[in-house]
Amino acid sequence: MKAKRAAGLVALVVILVIGLYTASYTYANVPLTYDGSDVDVTRLYEEPGSYDVSDPDGIADIIVKTDLEKTMSVNDVASIVFDYRGYDTLGESFILLTAIAGSFVILSKSAEKKSKGGDEK
Amino acid sequence: MKFKNGIQEQDVIVKCAADKFLPFALVFGIYVILFGTVSPGGGFQGGVIVASACLLLYLGYGVRGAADAINAEVLRVNEAIGACIYVILGVAGILCGCNFAANVFYDIGAVGDLISAGTITFMSYAVGYKVLTGVGFLLLLMLGLLAAADDDDETPAGENE
Repeated sequence: MKAKRAAGLVALVVILVIGLYTASYTYANVPLTYDGSDVDVTRLYEEPGSYDVSDPDGIADIIVKTDLEKTMSVNDVASIVFDYRGYDTLGESFILLTAIAGSFVILSKSAEKKSKGGDEK
Repeated sequence: MKFKNGIQEQDVIVKCAADKFLPFALVFGIYVILFGTVSPGGGFQGGVIVASACLLLYLGYGVRGAADAINAEVLRVNEAIGACIYVILGVAGILCGCNFAANVFYDIGAVGDLISAGTITFMSYAVGYKVLTGVGFLLLLMLGLLAAADDDDETPAGENE
């Protein structure tokens, strides 16, 4: 039991160290793409039509400009969901699989119990 | 005729409406799945639209009708098949030397065609198939539970078939 706990603790510490290293590396070496400092939030809220969309910044700029040659997909959302964020969609669909498996176990059991109870009455 | 809470169940008008709307719901859902990569929509949304056709069957023909028309076991197996197809298409990117879910054969077809964006299109179809079967199975399961509860309420002891 103690060894198990120690192993869990070591694993958590390793994950924490990796996360901290990644954060510091990203902060030091990866250029900042978009931090929102150029957007006047009050003006954007009051007159959203006046926001300049001709020159998007950050990741939107990269995706909008290079999506067609990179993925040949007309729909940028589909290319994000199934290409750039394929892992995300994988997890999403497996959440659905797990949820359905869990509800299958619970609901079929309670349905059995209900029908049994009806018979015994 | 069955009555439930004073409302006549399986009314002929409801049945006709379900009959008329079922094909439209199926065609619209399959359209949303197929054109997910070239128009708004996608696999997930289209799959839920197709699965909700189950509810139309339930409205028109009751739980028995829905359960007779759709084989729940087949749905349960096919959901796993859809998930496997998605994983295989994602791993194809790794096998070709790129990252997971990379768009490995993106140069098939012209831009804007139905099958044009490589693995994106087929992954969308796989997710649509998976959601269609999964949510359909979930709906059938819940409807079956509803039916069991109704039987308990309505039929006295010993009259269960």
